[in-house]
Amino acid sequence: MERAVLTLPLMARYLPAALLAAVAVVQIALATTLQLSAWKGGGFGMFSTLDHGGFRGVDVVVDAPDRSEHVEIAASLQVDAARAVALPVDWLLRNLAAGIAAREQRNDRPVSRVTLSVWRADFDRATLRGSERPIRTFIYDVPRESAPR
Amino acid sequence: MEGVSLRDAVAWTSAVAERSDTDAPAGVEERETVGRPVANPHFDAALRLTAIALLLRPMGPWFVRPVILAAAVVVLIFPAALRKWQVWGALALLTAIRIANDWPLADNHIYLLGYWLLAVSLALRSQDASSTLADASRALIGLAFAFAVVWKVALSPDFIDGRFFRVTLVTDPRFAAAARMIGGLSSDDLRAAREAVALLPHGAELLDPPAMVEPARLRLFAMASTWGVLLLETLVAGLMLSRTRLPGVLRHLVLLSFCAVTYAFAPVAGFGWLLLVMGLAQVEARQVWLARLYQLTFLVVLFYDEVPWAQLMLDVVQR
Repeated sequence: MERAVLTLPLMARYLPAALLAAVAVVQIALATTLQLSAWKGGGFGMFSTLDHGGFRGVDVVVDAPDRSEHVEIAASLQVDAARAVALPVDWLLRNLAAGIAAREQRNDRPVSRVTLSVWRADFDRATLRGSERPIRTFIYDVPRESAPR
Repeated sequence: MEGVSLRDAVAWTSAVAERSDTDAPAGVEERETVGRPVANPHFDAALRLTAIALLLRPMGPWFVRPVILAAAVVVLIFPAALRKWQVWGALALLTAIRIANDWPLADNHIYLLGYWLLAVSLALRSQDASSTLADASRALIGLAFAFAVVWKVALSPDFIDGRFFRVTLVTDPRFAAAARMIGGLSSDDLRAAREAVALLPHGAELLDPPAMVEPARLRLFAMASTWGVLLLETLVAGLMLSRTRLPGVLRHLVLLSFCAVTYAFAPVAGFGWLLLVMGLAQVEARQVWLARLYQLTFLVVLFYDEVPWAQLMLDVVQR
């Protein structure tokens, strides 16, 4: 009983801070292993690096028999693209690629494969010249049942 | 105690505790030496400003945003709602939903807002709401700034060497007026600098790359920003987390300085308001002038956000 009385005020004081620390540690782990943007995920890495949404991007190439072209990401898929660029992991990239494939099919354009290339910018320490550095390539083969015949 | 079981005694104690949680004004501290409650008016002010900050920056998808706005209006209109832990708990939950909805895109201050709303809710359930919230606020600000420092010093490859601000000052349009006014760039210089840092595809090189236009003043501004931000953030983290013998007012002045300087440039007023509200929650009842300073800085950040002051000053200078 005494222990509970002592613990509850401590919880009220420090539970939110403990949550903050736990989320921030997870964010650092995701940033160092899975390329999560430092600016996102609750780790307080904003304004610490140029590796943010403005200097990350994704190039999309759609393939089909007799077709291989670079396509722009539609406005309706911008949020999915932003999520995949901020954290280029399989499930977010697949989600984006499936959305692109579905859109192509809705517009009667053939698609059998969607290739996503996520890049981030690097700036030279001396000259500040910027270049795109690929950080992840993801290939999505459109399932046969939804591929155009 | 004859005829009263242990269970009855516990139930009676719980009822008294529950009544004191809900009926006694939050932010009221029991001073055993005096024997009567002493109100801390800054506690309510911090809660009201939190609600105002929520209204100033509507957030979240359609199924979250109206509920957050409505709750903020309710706590401002009804004094009883201001001290209901359930309302603040609901706001914390809605903020968590907003973060999860498009994870990982939410900005860091939305996370901090969620922790803060949770802290308010927990404090309102405690017997000493004001001091509980002050401690929670101190730990939250201290840890947020500590992680920000860790990122800048240890995890990011391009902050300490100055690249972050050198590139940001010329590429981010929100910093353009400051780069021109303080850094001494002309509009042609700015255009040339942007061309010089423009991204090339991986492995590509220009035969005749444009030279980076970077006056000494701009370089100095970038380095001052780099080390100034780092110094202030380190000071805030250290003073919030440590139990030093330094006067508590120093901690407030450093936080106020950080907000007054940073949010003149950084385009995240919501973060500034949140930090100011959390700082206000740490102010003791007798420190009226300090509370006023927090409230004034809250308004100053509002003006930073709404008035393109750097552009206006630049226009005046160029006339």
